Amino acid sequence: MATTTNYSWTTPDDTALVKDGAAAIRSLGTAIDTTVFTNAGAAIAKTIVDAKGDIIAATAADTVSRLAVGANGTVLTAASGQATGLEWALPASGGMTLLSTTSLSGATTTISGISGSYNNLFGIIYGVSNATATGVFRIAPNAATTACNERLRDDTNSDIANGYYLLSSQYNPLFTSTSNIFTFTISNYASSSIIKPISHTSSFIRTGTTWYQNLGNGSYNATTEITSLVFSNAGGNHSTGTVLLYGVK
Amino acid sequence: MTKSTRPIVRIHNIETDEVIDREMNDDEFAQYEAEKAAQAIAKAEAQVKENAKQAILDRIGLTADELKTILG
Repeated sequence: MATTTNYSWTTPDDTALVKDGAAAIRSLGTAIDTTVFTNAGAAIAKTIVDAKGDIIAATAADTVSRLAVGANGTVLTAASGQATGLEWALPASGGMTLLSTTSLSGATTTISGISGSYNNLFGIIYGVSNATATGVFRIAPNAATTACNERLRDDTNSDIANGYYLLSSQYNPLFTSTSNIFTFTISNYASSSIIKPISHTSSFIRTGTTWYQNLGNGSYNATTEITSLVFSNAGGNHSTGTVLLYGVK
Repeated sequence: MTKSTRPIVRIHNIETDEVIDREMNDDEFAQYEAEKAAQAIAKAEAQVKENAKQAILDRIGLTADELKTILG
């Protein structure tokens, strides 16, 4: 007997007798009925999805389920705790987030309430001026004035122990000029178990119009999480200056 | 009412974005004064050193730049 190409249903041969036709048709019909029934049972009904963006996911071997579309901006993420093994989640964020923009003013300016949700802190400070007196520009993490060590990479190559972290080396920027910029990084600032490395770069005018550059590195020698930074000038009040504080993942 | 002469400090709470400008409290002011005194001492000591250096240069009749050149 001849058979069909895809499902091998039995069909009459070209030479089959007419008397065999009814049986052949019945046999073919039964075969088609069986195949269609089986295939329909194995198919995924389109009614399983309800809305735009819905997807179909397996909950076990040979078992499927609808997973509703996630919120805008979310991405599909493997999640073994979920029935479908998937979930819509916000993409992991990275890079830098601006935490605050703070204007320097007075004898000290404290940035408090720093979130511990980042790996590092990065700061840019510019346009610093001082109306009353010039002085070394510095940071005190958590207002601690005796907790930082620093190695100055400048013409002094000197070490500072148990003090402020100095952003201008041991030199006094000419703070009647606002031509200055400082950057600093504090790593692992949110840790409550290790000390925190600090590094900085700076560029400022010391006298006349001559620019001075320096850099340094050191640490905040406490295991306490840093939640605040105090900026000050040894010797006088800040008039202007902007601190941009970033959290870095 | 007497007007306080204590320096002003600024506190920017970035959780609430609240900025407070207030006078230094007793502890802050005490530390501020202690630092000022220490700076004055350090400045005086540096000046004494500088004067001694200059006295030597004057005695040998050289300027600081000339001495640098010699030691070059």
